[in-house]
Amino acid sequence: MNHFMRNKSIMIMCEQSGGRILPVTHELIFCASLIAGRYDSRVTAVLPGNIADTDSISGADLLVINSPGLAEYTCEGWEKAALLAAEQIMPDIIIIAHTSTGYDYAPRVAALLEGGCITSVAGIEFTPEGIRYRRSGFHGKLDLLYGAGKPPLVITVLPGAFPADDQQAEPGTVSYIEAAIDPVFTSNLQYMIPDQSNTELEHAEVIIAVGKGIGKIENLQMIRKMASCFNRSAIAGSRVACDNGWIEYNAQVGITGKKVAPLLYMACGISGSMQHIAGMKDSKTVVSINRDPDAAIFRHSDICIVEELEKFIPEFIREAEKHRA
Amino acid sequence: MKILVCIKQVPDQESRPTVNQAKTWVGYFENASYWINRYDEHAVEEALRIREMIPGTTIDIVSFGPERVKSAIKRCIEMGADRGFHLYYDRDDYHSPSIKSRLIAEFCKNQEYDLILTGVMSEDMMSGQTGPMIAARLGVPSATSVIKLEINTEKQSIQVERELDSGHRCSMELVLPALVAVQSGINRPRYPSLSNVMRAKNTEIREIRYTDSLPASKYETVERISEVEFDRAGIRLGGTTAEKAAALWQLLHEKALI
Repeated sequence: MNHFMRNKSIMIMCEQSGGRILPVTHELIFCASLIAGRYDSRVTAVLPGNIADTDSISGADLLVINSPGLAEYTCEGWEKAALLAAEQIMPDIIIIAHTSTGYDYAPRVAALLEGGCITSVAGIEFTPEGIRYRRSGFHGKLDLLYGAGKPPLVITVLPGAFPADDQQAEPGTVSYIEAAIDPVFTSNLQYMIPDQSNTELEHAEVIIAVGKGIGKIENLQMIRKMASCFNRSAIAGSRVACDNGWIEYNAQVGITGKKVAPLLYMACGISGSMQHIAGMKDSKTVVSINRDPDAAIFRHSDICIVEELEKFIPEFIREAEKHRA
Repeated sequence: MKILVCIKQVPDQESRPTVNQAKTWVGYFENASYWINRYDEHAVEEALRIREMIPGTTIDIVSFGPERVKSAIKRCIEMGADRGFHLYYDRDDYHSPSIKSRLIAEFCKNQEYDLILTGVMSEDMMSGQTGPMIAARLGVPSATSVIKLEINTEKQSIQVERELDSGHRCSMELVLPALVAVQSGINRPRYPSLSNVMRAKNTEIREIRYTDSLPASKYETVERISEVEFDRAGIRLGGTTAEKAAALWQLLHEKALI
């Protein structure tokens, strides 16, 4: 097919907080370096901000887009910074982190550059026909391998999908563009950190998590009873369980909630979207109970039980009580 | 206010996708049922709430896809939306968000919407691209993952609160017209009222037909679809319910977890 890396140029957008480059950026550099190694390309990391002076980074040249209007993230500011940098760098690929900032502006950049766009990329593969980008789809039940169309291609990469760059590569150059990017649509920007702490969940060795499959709030009773079969257990929920008001948001597990890693994670009626998996994939042992034999969660579980919760859970409680007696 | 809500119809998550022979797309042949993407349903509800606050507001619904999509549009009218528009395209294939956003942006031209609402992503593909792309093509601001919004009619602006990573939030004011992609916690979608169900029966869904093939491959292509690989053992317990319960207890006991 088309020889995609025409300009031999890869652009990444740094994740930053107050001008400080965040660690996920090094995962993006790692992803870029895989492609750069194959296609002999240069990697430029773009840092939008209001920054007087910054250190170089390893594995990429750094291009700072400097403007007082870029002191804090705005969608329009980052979009303009990315477009300005792209004009300079002429990238074949633009790599952005799939975070609440990344997915906010990345599709806009793709649309304005008339390039392709693939979000939440979990891996890349090299084939004779070109680079393939892997992401999951169809409720997490299938893996899709995408190819690129017209460059530039914008991809957002899931945090944790690539290891952080080992930082042994040569530090790159640092250059600055003094820009005049001021938000015209956005005002009154305010950041808040609501108290979402949940010490019980953070210290639990066993987490019983419920999803849409529990069906109704009354079924929480049997879930509580099952949790009491274990020591140091806590109850958590998927996004849907929280949206339905069954579980408090401070007990939500997933990309938009908490990341947990208990000794045992029991997923009850959770389908297993990528968003949820990201929050529990480091658990020691995962047991899933779901009536859908194709549920995506089973692919991320040690033990799979295809059953109706209302039938299985009371049976399990009986079994546990039998041994306790 | 003139509001447009962009919705997608998605297969029920328990429906089984069947990969085509070329392994480039899927069909849903067995017991497929479709519904409105859950996130978009929240967008419809949010539009209805705005109309309750601001009299004279109209709500249009637009969706792209084959004939079956009409039932999702109709459901939105049953919830209370005023008009439905169907961007009809019957080819079962990968449809790039770039293409869909282009068609919807074209549809928006001359309609002068003050606010475009949509879900933060679709349940099935979770790309989250179509909304921001529509906004970019129309040259209007957008915000994603919004869990609270309020219109300021005097200032012609919208106050939004976004959900960020690890529980953080940020709020901002955007100039209207704008596009807002809502996150699911924003509200509880209502059930259709009987009067709206009756009204929907007589509401015509206007169709805009695309018969020529759309140039999807220009942007990105789906080259291969495969089963998700197991990243854990994935042992399936067999037997009766009681046998499975006993086996699970045993396995957990061996690991000293119970």
